[in-house]
Amino acid sequence: MKLTNNQEETIVKFTNVSIGYGRNVILKNINLSIERNDFIGIVGPNGSGKTTFLKTLLGNIKPLAGNIRKDNLVFGYVPQRDVVQPLLPYSVHDVVMMGRYSLLGTFKSPKKEDEEIVNDSLKRVGIADLTLMNYNSLSGGQRQRVLIARALAVKPDILILDEPTNGLDTPSHYSVLNLVSELQEKSHLTVLIVSHLLTDVANLVKKLILFEAGNYQFGLIEDALSEESLAKTYSTNIEIKKIDGKYLITSKH
Amino acid sequence: MLGSIVAGVICSFLGVFVVSQRVVFLGAALTQAAIAGVAFSFLHLLNLEQLLANLFGVQSINDSFLHHFEHTFFSLLFAVIAVLIFSQSYKQKFLTTDGLLGLMFVVAIALRIIFIQKSPIAEVAEIESILKGDILFIGSQEFYTLSVILTIVLTIFYLFKKQLKFVTFDADTAAAHGINDRLWLLIFYLTVGIGISLTTRFVGDVFTFAFLIIPASISIMLAKKVANVFLYSILIGAIIPPLAIYFAFELDVSSGPTAVVAVFILFLIFFLFKKIKK
Repeated sequence: MKLTNNQEETIVKFTNVSIGYGRNVILKNINLSIERNDFIGIVGPNGSGKTTFLKTLLGNIKPLAGNIRKDNLVFGYVPQRDVVQPLLPYSVHDVVMMGRYSLLGTFKSPKKEDEEIVNDSLKRVGIADLTLMNYNSLSGGQRQRVLIARALAVKPDILILDEPTNGLDTPSHYSVLNLVSELQEKSHLTVLIVSHLLTDVANLVKKLILFEAGNYQFGLIEDALSEESLAKTYSTNIEIKKIDGKYLITSKH
Repeated sequence: MLGSIVAGVICSFLGVFVVSQRVVFLGAALTQAAIAGVAFSFLHLLNLEQLLANLFGVQSINDSFLHHFEHTFFSLLFAVIAVLIFSQSYKQKFLTTDGLLGLMFVVAIALRIIFIQKSPIAEVAEIESILKGDILFIGSQEFYTLSVILTIVLTIFYLFKKQLKFVTFDADTAAAHGINDRLWLLIFYLTVGIGISLTTRFVGDVFTFAFLIIPASISIMLAKKVANVFLYSILIGAIIPPLAIYFAFELDVSSGPTAVVAVFILFLIFFLFKKIKK
């Protein structure tokens, strides 16, 4: 049964959730809902709980308290690119096919349908021509697209991207952000994106989860984003400007 | 001769995973753990051979399988314990993989020395020579045991290739997509541990460790497809040991170290070839 709230379809609901590891509670009393087709940015300083929140949402770690309702959702996860550095010469096709593995039976091999889904995922991220290329031989931007294609091959309800633009050159950086934005709009995907680049996130997403030590804020971007809240989160003065409808967030010196 | 080929193939196949997972030192730690296990068996604290002989109603001294059972059993047991300890380093912030492997390596060597010193039988040198194994002295019993191990290793990797491929490539995403990364990595390392421990038992630590690393390193350097990495590595693991036995006879030197030097020369040739080509 799906939850409904104000005409929106709630697909994830955190109720009084505490997150952390063992006895180390990072954040208490998280209460938030993720609606279908939401586009949410997750920001905050290192150690504020962004990764722990993601892992708890994905089910990799259990919440220390409270309840998370997620209605058998399928997650497509795009890790930070630098954690995937294979020595073996996997092809782009090999890597994207891994996205299908969790959906196949233990002893079953990929079928024609899985091949089609892999090809379709590669097309959606604009790298269908790279399918036979060695993953290691690709540029950073291309590798990021491969990892996004792998997440799409799961046919996810929610796409989660962890710092997708880290270490990319400027053209690749904006090209990946445009791709994520397009996927969210055209495919009506629910997208959660973790980034330390506030300006990027502010100009991309509709909602924001702002983590700070032991606390969080969640809301529409225009509500959650304020110089006061950012100053509190990052313990420094931050200036928010709007130029031609676009946010520009900088540190005040 | 055939036994040396099977031992070479087991090591070179498992080596592809060990090298590509960047846990080369796991090979060193497991070979030492396996040797410590064999050394432990010389203490004869548990007479497993007699226990099994009574169970099956045979004379253990007349049964070649039972006669070597304790050495093999404890070598396997120590390697499995080492893998279980190693698995505790997974995703731990206060315990690095390198640190834990180094710790296991030196403790295994220390235990081996203590076990040999306390052994009630035989000379230290005699035990050391048994511990070191030799590809030249692989008998039919060892050959069959190694063949069974090879079959088990290949079957596990074939049946679970999807899961093992995903968790060894990107464990975090595999977990996020619902694959139990901890369980599959444990199965992966246990299979590696079983393969390494039994190969070490029969052909010694130097041969096992060298053939874990060098054929895989050569094939990763040369191959452009994952399947070819395995193919090249297995071919090297199969061809070099019998050639080394031949040259060891000709030069009147030990066959194990000759195999190691031969595979290293091959590595050097391909490395220089690759470097010049670049």
